[in-house]
Amino acid sequence: MDLTLAIIVTVVGASTPILIAALGELVVERSGVLNLGVEGMMLIGAIAGFVVQFHTGNPYLALLCGAAAGMASSLIFGFLTLSLSANQTATGLALTIFGTGFSALAGSSYSARPVSLMEPLFPAELAAHPVWKVLFSYSFPVYFSFIMVVVIWYFLHKTRAGLILRAVGENDQSAHSIGYSVIGVRYMAVMFGGAMAGLAGACFPLLLTPQWAERMTAGRGWIAVALVVFASWKPFRLLAGAYLFGLVMTMELYAKAGGGVLSIIPSELWAALPYIATIVVLVLISLRRDASTNAPACLGKPFLPSN
Amino acid sequence: MQFRLEKRQEPSKFMAYATPVAAVALTMIIGAIIFSLIGYDGVGAVREIFLTPLTNSYKWQDLGVKAAPLIIIGVGLSIAYRANVWNIGAEGQYIVGGLCATGIALLTWGMTGWWILPLMMLAGMAGGMAYASIPALLRTKLKVNEILTSLMLTYASVQLIYFLIRGPWKDPMGIGFPQTRLFSEAARLPTIIPGTIVHLGVPIAVLVAIIAWFIMSKSVFGYRMRVVGAAPHAARYGGFSENKTIWLAMLVSGGLAGLAGMLEIAGPFQRMVPGFPTNYGFTAIIVAFLGRLNPLGVIVAGVVLAITFVGGEVAQTTIGLPNAATGIFQAMMLFFLLAGDILIKYRVRRVMPQTSTEVA
Amino acid sequence: MTLSRRTMIKIGGAAVALPLLGSTAFGQAEKLKIGFIYVGSINDNGYNYAHNQGRIFVQDQLGDAVETVYVENVPEGPDCERVLRELAQQGCKLIFATSFGFGDSVIKVAAQFPDVAFEHATGYMPAANVGLYNARFYEGRAVCGTIAGHMSKTGKAGYIGSFPIPEVVMGINALALSGRRVNPNFTVKPVYISTWNDPAKEADAARAMIDQGIDIVAQHTDGPAALQVAAERGIIGGFGQGADMSAFAPDTQLTAIIDNWGPHYLASAKAVIDGTWVPGNTWEGLKEEVVEMGPYNAKVPADVVADAEKVRTGQIDGSFHIFTGPIKDNTGVERVAAGVVMTDGELLSMDWYVEGVEQPA
Repeated sequence: MDLTLAIIVTVVGASTPILIAALGELVVERSGVLNLGVEGMMLIGAIAGFVVQFHTGNPYLALLCGAAAGMASSLIFGFLTLSLSANQTATGLALTIFGTGFSALAGSSYSARPVSLMEPLFPAELAAHPVWKVLFSYSFPVYFSFIMVVVIWYFLHKTRAGLILRAVGENDQSAHSIGYSVIGVRYMAVMFGGAMAGLAGACFPLLLTPQWAERMTAGRGWIAVALVVFASWKPFRLLAGAYLFGLVMTMELYAKAGGGVLSIIPSELWAALPYIATIVVLVLISLRRDASTNAPACLGKPFLPSN
Repeated sequence: MQFRLEKRQEPSKFMAYATPVAAVALTMIIGAIIFSLIGYDGVGAVREIFLTPLTNSYKWQDLGVKAAPLIIIGVGLSIAYRANVWNIGAEGQYIVGGLCATGIALLTWGMTGWWILPLMMLAGMAGGMAYASIPALLRTKLKVNEILTSLMLTYASVQLIYFLIRGPWKDPMGIGFPQTRLFSEAARLPTIIPGTIVHLGVPIAVLVAIIAWFIMSKSVFGYRMRVVGAAPHAARYGGFSENKTIWLAMLVSGGLAGLAGMLEIAGPFQRMVPGFPTNYGFTAIIVAFLGRLNPLGVIVAGVVLAITFVGGEVAQTTIGLPNAATGIFQAMMLFFLLAGDILIKYRVRRVMPQTSTEVA
Repeated sequence: MTLSRRTMIKIGGAAVALPLLGSTAFGQAEKLKIGFIYVGSINDNGYNYAHNQGRIFVQDQLGDAVETVYVENVPEGPDCERVLRELAQQGCKLIFATSFGFGDSVIKVAAQFPDVAFEHATGYMPAANVGLYNARFYEGRAVCGTIAGHMSKTGKAGYIGSFPIPEVVMGINALALSGRRVNPNFTVKPVYISTWNDPAKEADAARAMIDQGIDIVAQHTDGPAALQVAAERGIIGGFGQGADMSAFAPDTQLTAIIDNWGPHYLASAKAVIDGTWVPGNTWEGLKEEVVEMGPYNAKVPADVVADAEKVRTGQIDGSFHIFTGPIKDNTGVERVAAGVVMTDGELLSMDWYVEGVEQPA
């Protein structure tokens, strides 16, 4: 029982950054834009968060600056793909290359320097019992990620602005013709995605391992991209998917450390599982022939008003 | 006074050639300024990264060897992208091609014969095609976005390498290190210029690009790919099946990526190691764009990228520029190029405020 | 291509000669240029950082007599080959390739530059101008294991490895053997994470092991992540790897195994300057100070420190070797007879685990 609870706590830690980054990417993709630069924006957020935490020791400011740095880097992507209609795939890849290089350069004088982890949000007495620990032992970003799932769901499905955003993603030409600013909406979405990716990156030094290391996100930005597809662009499925991915990533280690049946699965299969699962899910949702579960119709295509 | 973009009647040929050149030039200028501002020798950085590899003839062999896989994969991708088929999983197809070639090399280990290399080549291409056919199948049968599936498959393929070299293919003499045994002589690519490292893959890359250029500009196949990409609806009326085009595009790009994988494993690597995936498949996407999706342009773009890689290492040793700078220069180059793309289809017009409101 | 083969060679030759013309003078006053290539970043807080510290040590010691250059983040493969040639062609007369995976490239490039001295860390393929060097990290593990055996309350230590290569297997075994000398019920639980540098995964691996009963953590990956988790969870402690990591976990690092490549690099550089360099195959440890122990944490009791020191000094004066029989493997089969010391060759190809090591998946 205690072990199960302990596993849950670790899974929450592993899932939170990919959930936050994926939530941002979900909104971006719902607006019809595919930003493959998530990994790069996360790294920029990670170094920004680390530097601010190192110098100020204020984790909230660190998260904020991580998000701001991620948003700033997403503006490069936004300007190229939205204002100049550049190819989104190539721009996203370039953003990841940029983020990797920029963060390594900015972080080169911050090696061998620890920071302190972000404190839990609730007082320690609340989390004393193992069962309550599962609920109350986390710091702010964990609760933030849950709140954002609901907020984004509400925004997309219950608000007028969300409706416009989805309309822009499904049919940009008609959204444009009834007077909505396709480019404006997409800019907002891309900036939101950048802020979320940056915040997710800042979670690495603040929540998971209080240090700066080059490429410390180690491919989790790509997992976030996979996750959005896995969740078929739905916030609550994204929540479930993020925890499933987090569980897969974590269970490998618990299985290996504990022995038992699961430990005979080769680690390569564990590592490949999220990606294979994503393809399987893509196939399954397309077999259902339910248009609403499919990708936003304009995903990845530049918008050029036809009139 | 305002600026306004105005669609050109026809894409500008001049801009298509001028923007990549301008992108490289701008990268050099702005890169020099930025790196000077943050305390490095900015001018030296640009000189070492962009010029030294070109002016030092000793580096030419490195450029050829580094550019070859980028060109081969880039040519395949440019054909696919022309047809609006977004295969971004070339890295995975490259890996599977390399693995299939490795399989043949290990099966024929200790044997001799001229047929081994061609067989490996076929296996590499077949492997790349097979891996590319998964996204092709999903796209044509189930309308699943090929960008996402081909990307996911890349990550799965990396794990396949680790699995094989840690388990069934582990070198019996490698004292437990995760790698295969060294290929025997017959499974290694010959060097074509004695005293250098230039292997058979380098002329093959150039040949592939020239053949692809010829086919794309002179044949029905090429016409079909271009038409489907530029005007899908017109293409359908013209009797070109979209699905068939997707298949062709994926198989060609996958097969070429697989070929590049074979040439790399049989040339420079000569055994499968965990470091085999070196992002050639992703870098080739940049190459394809920098080369304007034109096979001949891809040759130039492949060499330009190779220059930045080789030059980035030179700059580390000569002026102490960190490795990260190479990535920043490459990203800048691509940003400028992509920004310039719009000038091909649009022209910038200066307009007076009142006229612009009328138009809008 | 209109260049004939002869002109190609001539141009190539000129390019090789150019850097020489630029240097001060031929003969006695010539500065020795030394190249280093690293597989990761010099800012990794661990393995590559330690090698770079060795480079800085040589530069400090020899001052104007040498010039050192390095290339970081060099992928293992053809890129490494190119970097090696670049360094040789720039005039480096001594080149250190600091990762196992550089081996094939070193052999190839060394053949093209017979007048350049190459040294390959942790490798196994020597050549006429390729020396091999390695460090007996297992000696440090034996010291750590002694502390772990004394201090662990659960009698279980966790060990985060990258890949099951002999180097790592040897370290796990040394930790288990030395721990069991003190506490016969001491066991080691290895977990392989298939990467050298993914801090978040290292941290989660440490969490997974701590949640399942270990109270001492050791690691053979490049960074301090596992140690930080040990501190966060408040377990008994862990060990620094590669460098003194006490800055990351001041109350938790019990001691550290410090890679001190400096003396070896200095000796090789001096040998090249004196013209006495020959390709060696060195495997040095505590005695030669290539492996050093970090400071003992204040919370390590005095008697434990004394025992650890006994193991350390015993390995320095040669009276103690951790791989002395009888040694059983973890299936109960006796592998090394009583009184027999395992040979270096046996150690360097070790692919089995000693008694007390849980068989990893």
